[in-house]
Amino acid sequence: MRGRFRPGVFWGSGVMRVSVAVLAIAFVVVALLPRQSQFLFHALGEPLADLVAIPVKGMATLDRTLREWWMQYIALQGLSQQNRQLRETVQQLNGEVNRLREQAYMAERLALLLEFQEDKSVRTVAARVIGRSVSNWYQGVILNKGEDDGIREQMGVITPAGVAGRIVRTSGSTSTALLTTDPNLVIAGIIQRTRDEGMVQGMSQGLVRMKYLPPLSSVKTGDAVVTSGLTGGFPRGVLIGEVDRVEESEDGLFRTAQIVPAVQSRHLDEVLVVVAPRSPETMLSPDHALIAPGPQNPTP
Amino acid sequence: MKISAYTLLTLFLFSFQATVLSSFNPFGIQPDFCLVIACLIGFRTGPVHGLIVGFGLGFLQDLFSAGPFGLHTLTKAGAGFLAGIFARNLSNREAHTALVPVMACSGLSAMVFLLWSRMGMGLGEMLYGFSYILLPQAVLDGLVAIMANWVFGRWLVEAPSP
Repeated sequence: MRGRFRPGVFWGSGVMRVSVAVLAIAFVVVALLPRQSQFLFHALGEPLADLVAIPVKGMATLDRTLREWWMQYIALQGLSQQNRQLRETVQQLNGEVNRLREQAYMAERLALLLEFQEDKSVRTVAARVIGRSVSNWYQGVILNKGEDDGIREQMGVITPAGVAGRIVRTSGSTSTALLTTDPNLVIAGIIQRTRDEGMVQGMSQGLVRMKYLPPLSSVKTGDAVVTSGLTGGFPRGVLIGEVDRVEESEDGLFRTAQIVPAVQSRHLDEVLVVVAPRSPETMLSPDHALIAPGPQNPTP
Repeated sequence: MKISAYTLLTLFLFSFQATVLSSFNPFGIQPDFCLVIACLIGFRTGPVHGLIVGFGLGFLQDLFSAGPFGLHTLTKAGAGFLAGIFARNLSNREAHTALVPVMACSGLSAMVFLLWSRMGMGLGEMLYGFSYILLPQAVLDGLVAIMANWVFGRWLVEAPSP
C-alpha cells in the first residue's frame, strides 16, 4: 500500500467531481426532504418495479422447484443400502410420498387460507412470498400480488395464525410487507383477557413488545394479544402473539409486555392481505374476536 | 457492452439475493452481496464504475425494500465509489486486500441505516443494532468480499494497473 492519499488523482477528473457532487446533493435532499424525495423515487421506480419483478418471480419459481427437487433427492439417498429391486421400488414410493406430502402440505395451507377467507367477514387477497428483504435493518417480504390485485400501502398482512405485518410498498404486480418483528412497525393491540390497550412494536431481537399498558393492568404471562382494530389495516381480534414477560417501563408510568409473535416470519409462504378490514355488515362488538388463539402457523 | 453487462449483472444479482440467498444468513445476519459486488466493481475497475453499479443495485433493492426509498441507492453508490477511491492507493489488488475497504464501506453504509431506522427508539435498540447487526455484517461482508475478489481476479475482471 502506498499509504498516501493523492488528492490530485481524486479531484483531477471532472466525472469524479460531478459524481461526488451528485451523491452529496442526493444525500442532503433525502435527509432534508424525505417526503418529496420518497415521492420522486417512487414515481421513478414504479414502472421499473414491474419489469424487475419478472426475473425475481422467475428466480423464486426456480428456487422453489430446486428446493423441492433437492428435498426429494436427499430423501432418496438414504435407501442406497437396500437391494436394487427394493431400492428402486422404495425410491419410486418415496418420491411419490414426498411429492404427495408436499402437495398435502400445500393443500392444507391453502385449505386453511380458503376456510379463513370464507369464514371471516374481512375481505382479503391471498398472496405468495416470493422473496425476502435484502437488508438486515428492515424485516420485510416481497409478495407476488400488487396494485393490480387491489393491494395498497398500509393494508394489513395476516395468516391463519395471526398478524404477519403491513404493506409498505406496492407496484403493479408485487408488494413489500414490513413484518411485525420489525421495530419500525407499530400496531394498536389489546390484551384479550383484560381488554387493556397498548401499542405493539417489533424489537431487533426478533420479538415483539406491547408498550403503554396501564400500570395497574393485571396482564400476565400467557395472555393473548390481539389487534384492537383502532388503526387501519387490521380487523379487530386478529392474534398478534402471547405475552412472555411483563415489566415496568423505565419511567414507571406504564407496563410493557414482551410478546412471542404468533407468526414466525421465517416460515412465511402464503399470506392474506386485508383489503377491507371492516365491512359495514360486520362491525363487531368489542369483545368479538375474529381469530381465537389457535395453533401456530402451520406452514413448514 | 459494459452497460448491458452491468445491467444484466445487477438484475441477476438482485433477484438471486432476494430469493435464493435469502435463507443464507449465518448467525442470523445476511451478507449484503449487492454491496460487496458494488464495492468490488469500484475496487477493481474504478470509482465511477463502482458508483454506477452501486446506484443500479441500490435502486433495485429500494424498489422492493421495506425501508424508505433512496437509502440503498445512495449508500450502495457511495460504497462503490469509496471502494474505488480506496483502491487507488493500493499497489496490488490481491484477494485479501478487499477486506478492509469492503468492511469499512459496509460499516459506513450500515451506520446510515442504523441512524435512520433506529433513531428515537432508545439507546438499547441502537446498541443492539450496532453490536448484533452492524459489526457482524461488516465482518461477513468483508469475508465474502475476499472470496468474491479472488473469483473476480482469477476469472472475471482484469484489474487495471494502479
